[in-house]
Amino acid sequence: MVLLYLLEKEFKQFFRDPGLPKMAIAFPVLMMLVFPFAVSMEIRNINLVVVDSNRSVASSKLIETCTASGYFNLVAVSDDPDWAMQQMDKNRADAILTIESDFDRCLERGEALPVGIKVNTINGTKGSIGAGYLTSCIQRYRAEASPASTASPTAGPQLDVSAKYYFNTYLDYKKFMVPALIVIAITMLTGFFPALNIVSEKERGTIEQINVTPVNRGVFILCKLIPYWLVAFFVLTACLLIARWVFDYSCAGSVGLMYFFTAGNILVTAGMGLLISNYSENAQQAMFVTWFFMMVFMLVSGIFTPIASMPDWAQAITYLNPMRYYADAMRGVYIKGSTLADVWSDAAGLLTIGTVMVAWVILSYKKTT
Amino acid sequence: MNETENIIIVDKLTKKFGDFTAVDHISFEVHRGEIFGFLGANGAGKTTAMKILCGLSLPTSGGGTVNGYDLCREQEKIKRHIGYMSQKFSLYADLKVWENIRLFGGIYGLSGKRIRQKSDEMLHYLNMTDLRDELVGDLPLGWKQKLAFSIALIHQPAIVFLDEPTGGVDPETRRLFWDLICETAEGGTTIFVTTHYMDEAEYCDRVSIMVDGVIADLDSPAALKQHYQATDMDTVFRKLAYQAKRE
Repeated sequence: MVLLYLLEKEFKQFFRDPGLPKMAIAFPVLMMLVFPFAVSMEIRNINLVVVDSNRSVASSKLIETCTASGYFNLVAVSDDPDWAMQQMDKNRADAILTIESDFDRCLERGEALPVGIKVNTINGTKGSIGAGYLTSCIQRYRAEASPASTASPTAGPQLDVSAKYYFNTYLDYKKFMVPALIVIAITMLTGFFPALNIVSEKERGTIEQINVTPVNRGVFILCKLIPYWLVAFFVLTACLLIARWVFDYSCAGSVGLMYFFTAGNILVTAGMGLLISNYSENAQQAMFVTWFFMMVFMLVSGIFTPIASMPDWAQAITYLNPMRYYADAMRGVYIKGSTLADVWSDAAGLLTIGTVMVAWVILSYKKTT
Repeated sequence: MNETENIIIVDKLTKKFGDFTAVDHISFEVHRGEIFGFLGANGAGKTTAMKILCGLSLPTSGGGTVNGYDLCREQEKIKRHIGYMSQKFSLYADLKVWENIRLFGGIYGLSGKRIRQKSDEMLHYLNMTDLRDELVGDLPLGWKQKLAFSIALIHQPAIVFLDEPTGGVDPETRRLFWDLICETAEGGTTIFVTTHYMDEAEYCDRVSIMVDGVIADLDSPAALKQHYQATDMDTVFRKLAYQAKRE
């Protein structure tokens, strides 16, 4: 059967390539071992400058409470507000905590504490989270320093709100990112490899030798697609194992479902890669076009920023983004244990785009020009 | 063998790329079993014409048949009955000698047993049995070309198209290559060959000379030499090719 001969060729070429097999191994390892730590949205190491005009036991205790929280780096304690402001201008301080001179007296009297918080909000998220941390440190300090004040006689019946966290109980950002990183690794590898494949046959001239044979173009394209299924399954398996051994995470839902979605995703990414390859004259062109689409897909996939907080028009665009469906499904299955019934809309979206892609690749591959 | 049976019939074949007419209403026939030389300067349109005959490209107008199949509608049928070897070396350099033979044998639908048999025969014939497990990319050019030619014949096509098969090959290897071509033609396969070497044109039964997208003349080398009062094909070619107006 022609299919088997062509597949044999594709696999031999893949494994003989000096770079591709190494990439297929190095990429998932790197993704799983380095990026869960590096790509973290948790805000730590906020540089704090304290302007302490009070210089009392109480004020130094407050500073200690803040630094003990683990979120702040204490840069300096000064009594010059202007100097502190300069530090922020020079980017040495992310937040300034100002303690007024009547701090200890107000604390004793149970009055509002005279403290000020200034934060650098060039990075809005870091700024607001930093301010939040500082506020909670001050509250905690107040609660510890004068327990009476929280139970003041004037206070009415209190609402005690307690939050219960589901699925990712310890709000571990790494756990949130692991399935997303799997999505990125698989999408990148299975997008770029095929994009280079047909175009390299064009560059070497071997495509002409194929086109002059009676080989069916559908079979030819299928043989280009199948190896990437296996590459993707290999990458997925490697990632899941690393996540298990290194982080002790395991898939909450069905692992089979993750393979199912990965198979669907290959239709899209490998299909897109081959499509770009069809329309490109050389490898450079194919690389740049693929890179452009990957970038767009990734940024509006919901991997880094929640889709729900995008403006309506951007949310509408994400429906065309295959990575949105894949990322959503993979996260759902891995973290929440979603079943196919929960994520059927992702499956429908992914398979629809995938089918269109593959049909387009086959139709745009011309043996006769 | 019926000498006048035509395996290729081309009628007013034209290919335009935008305003540029690469091939301009050419008509000719190729007889079954002959070595047909398709000559012309660079850019005269011979590669374009050849690609149409191989079913790689569609004509803008005009038409014809190859082995009885229509050029405009039955390209995939034509492809079953032709072999093709291009000037750009086009076997897979990262596959071994036997793997290339196996791949193309497989593509043309030969059985596994037939492929093994064929490749033993072929390697023995080419004196390449020891090179079986070499990567094709590591072979010298002359060997590659001989291998490519033999692979183009693996499915015993009625006609084989050779696009400048001896480009960049040393004279001795070129001569051996032409021995191979002549032997193949004696076996009944029609050879359609383009070349830049006028001494090679002498091996052909008939040659056509393309100038500016049209066929300036077509006859046997002997008749052409007589007509242009030349002692060799080189002079014939110069006389015709210098009429060219386009670069």
